[in-house]
Amino acid sequence: MAPGAASYGEEDVLRARFYRLLSHLLQAPPKVEDIELLAGMTGDSTPLGEAVGGVARVAAGIAPATIAREYHNLFIGLGRGELVPYGSYYLTGFLHEKPLAKLRADLIRHGIERAPEVREPEDHIAALCEAMAGLILGEFGEPATLDDQKTFFKTHIAPWAKYFFTDLEAAKSAVFYAAVGRAGVAFMEVEETAFEML
Amino acid sequence: MSGKRDEDTGKRRDFLKLAGFAAVTGGGLLAGGTKPAEAAVEPETPSHGYRETEHVKAYYKLARF
Repeated sequence: MAPGAASYGEEDVLRARFYRLLSHLLQAPPKVEDIELLAGMTGDSTPLGEAVGGVARVAAGIAPATIAREYHNLFIGLGRGELVPYGSYYLTGFLHEKPLAKLRADLIRHGIERAPEVREPEDHIAALCEAMAGLILGEFGEPATLDDQKTFFKTHIAPWAKYFFTDLEAAKSAVFYAAVGRAGVAFMEVEETAFEML
Repeated sequence: MSGKRDEDTGKRRDFLKLAGFAAVTGGGLLAGGTKPAEAAVEPETPSHGYRETEHVKAYYKLARF
């Protein structure tokens, strides 16, 4: 498949699934059934595989209520959590800044819009991961070309996401989510390396 | 030129094949979202209750006037 062609291969489905997994875990704490699935994951000896194995091990050994509490302390707190998982915040120190405006314009161009009942800004890491999954799989129209995906990734995700995942790995409140952070770092590195090959 | 492009995407595909995804089995969760295409951002969750409370408090405060 050439970078200008709009379709996707098996490895792109796997990428999209990984984005979706991250999105799922970062928008809400996983439910009991999800945790069981996570505990059943296996990974090989690559950095990504090992990070996934790490998530599975923690998922297998931690109580769901503990994960929920982690999520709350990390992302909700009282007014704010330990981390602020928004692109504008990481790039400018404030929410609702230029990076968000740029993202909104790009989302409109791609036919993606915020669900009406959602109040949070679109540059939340979970939303961006969801956007990438949808672009890869063609859920907002035709599957995005690799060039298009690369541009979107480099513009809206690459400048800050790895820093966020690194912070997540190191966060005080994080044990399960520390493993998720490590998986996020590994995945971002795979995405960066793969896009650089184009 | 298109030969180079194809070569690049081939290299990329080979890299991704060895990047560790294929071993990530985890069934339904990875097959992922039941979210509709338009819901590209975070839906409301019960843990957003704190924000609701702050807005309600602000309303009550304003409602006194």
